Amino acid sequence: MRHANVVILTDETEFARLLTACWQAERQAPGVTVLNSDLWREQEAPAHDLIVVGPLRDGKLTSVLRSLEPATAVILCAPADSRELGQLRAKYPRLVHVPLREDWAQTLLLVAGESLRRTEAVRIAREAERSAAKNENHATLGRYMMDMKHSVNNALTSMLGNAELLLLEPGQLSSQSLAQIKTIHSMALRINEVMQRFSSLANEIQEAEKASQAETEETGTPVSQRR
Amino acid sequence: MHLCSVDNYRESTAVHKKVLIVDDSPAEVKLMQGLLEKEGYWPVGLSDPRRVEETITSERPSVILLDIVMPDRNGYQVCRDLKGSAEFNSIPVIMVTSKDSVSDKFWGQQQGADGYVTKPFTREELLRAVRRFA
Repeated sequence: MRHANVVILTDETEFARLLTACWQAERQAPGVTVLNSDLWREQEAPAHDLIVVGPLRDGKLTSVLRSLEPATAVILCAPADSRELGQLRAKYPRLVHVPLREDWAQTLLLVAGESLRRTEAVRIAREAERSAAKNENHATLGRYMMDMKHSVNNALTSMLGNAELLLLEPGQLSSQSLAQIKTIHSMALRINEVMQRFSSLANEIQEAEKASQAETEETGTPVSQRR
Repeated sequence: MHLCSVDNYRESTAVHKKVLIVDDSPAEVKLMQGLLEKEGYWPVGLSDPRRVEETITSERPSVILLDIVMPDRNGYQVCRDLKGSAEFNSIPVIMVTSKDSVSDKFWGQQQGADGYVTKPFTREELLRAVRRFA
């Protein structure tokens, strides 16, 4: 998992101290930055995957939440009435409220862990989507090349063959024409090499895909059916 | 239709070394004709694969160079029909094609082809394949 970053935004030093200490005791602790409401500016905040909003000075909660992007993952661990929470949830779909009860720190760590795993999963999924789109483009190009291979090979047959026919009677050509035909012939051979490498590569990819597919099917078979 | 036994057929074609080239591309037919003529063969070109049998009967070639990708009747079909015919199955068939995958070659063998040359070929590659039979 990529190293995650968490911002703890609170005006209560004890809240930040306790939460940071709990996180440091965890096996996989995220990078933690503590800010108070006076220092908070989302545009200037360090890169973060999650914001934990703890108790703030009176009147600061609304202005802090207003400054957040709606897509930001937020855990609110501060007193708030149910009507206010309902409004906040409607505006911030990724906001989770952890009441400040006796076991708030353990609950918050659990919720934060899940939130960070979700962020990581979304990041991996987006990366996979980007990679799939890129691969799709390459596949289209590859399919086009495969479709064209037949035509290229036929054209090369004529180029190579006719050049060879002319080179069989070098006496009938001027030295300049002879040199030009030799160039055409060697360039056609080079294109042929490129096409052959392309064909070998296409075969290797096809074999690798078959092996991968077989492996996937084998993995998908229930254990009781495997031998 | 003229019929002859396999032995008589071989005897009568041995001197001429006639090669039937079946390819829908006239440029490729002409090219192979040029390469074979230089080596003393007597090439006969045919661009319509539906007329293979009647051309064999009239020209009596020693060997057939057969393209695969052709309209109306592909090279696999032609080869299968020739090898399934008591009259023509002794004539060697060399597939000359740009289809170069292992499965293409395997399929060619399955149809009874005696040789396989992939395009683009060099003059030597073509002649080596033809010399095996004529």
